[in-house]
Amino acid sequence: MSASDHDNLGRLIAALPPAPEGWTRAAQELPAARRGIDEIVAKAEADAAYRERVVADLESALAAEGIEPTPPLLDELRNRFRSV
Amino acid sequence: MIPTEGQLVARCRAGDAAAWNELVERFSRYVYAICSQGFRLSEHDAEDVFQDVFTRVYTHLDRLRDDDAFRPWLAQLTRRTCIDRIRSGGREAPVEELEPTDVDETLSMLDEAMTVHEAMAELPENCRDILDRFFAQDESYRTIGEALDLPPGTIASRISRCLEKLKALLEETGGPARPETR
Repeated sequence: MSASDHDNLGRLIAALPPAPEGWTRAAQELPAARRGIDEIVAKAEADAAYRERVVADLESALAAEGIEPTPPLLDELRNRFRSV
Repeated sequence: MIPTEGQLVARCRAGDAAAWNELVERFSRYVYAICSQGFRLSEHDAEDVFQDVFTRVYTHLDRLRDDDAFRPWLAQLTRRTCIDRIRSGGREAPVEELEPTDVDETLSMLDEAMTVHEAMAELPENCRDILDRFFAQDESYRTIGEALDLPPGTIASRISRCLEKLKALLEETGGPARPETR
């Protein structure tokens, strides 16, 4: 195996460094996060005061369920409340 | 046995949480690299695009017609999401003007890099670890030696032997055994 083969393989391995750990973890938690959103929406449908609190502060509502309030999840929750 | 891309996608669609974890783990570097190297997004924008892409993957996986074509579908989805992000920053221009001029070349190189990383997954763990630490994580011989409890003087020869194994694997699978220099 030539030095040039080594260099090329090394360059291709180096082209994909790990994504930041927190980003990967947040993406892995998506299914659980969506279940959490379903629960928030269900609770809000049954409890008007809770609904008001959630609408006033979506980030805190997600955080209270242990969900990282990433922009896509905040958008998702916002959209779900538009249709509630 | 490492599941194929298609098997993993099928399991995700069936609601298998472990498969989803593995899918994200396997493709997180690819999506990150497209955002940061292909489109040179800031760390903040890259993070938003990264989460957005995996959210779309999760919700739209049933739209994928061929499970074995997941990687090109993901690349296209990431590319479109990067462009949307640049547009949301106020830039109104044709797509060709929003994308870096060398984006096709970079994406093609990253695709080749994914093939190499997939072959690496078939290597023994010690080889996989040492190659990833040295090349992808840019660790020094000293750091690798300490982490893996190896004499630093043996690291270079181990890397060389592991690269040879990797090349043999790539030749078996028809991957880029002798990647072109770009």
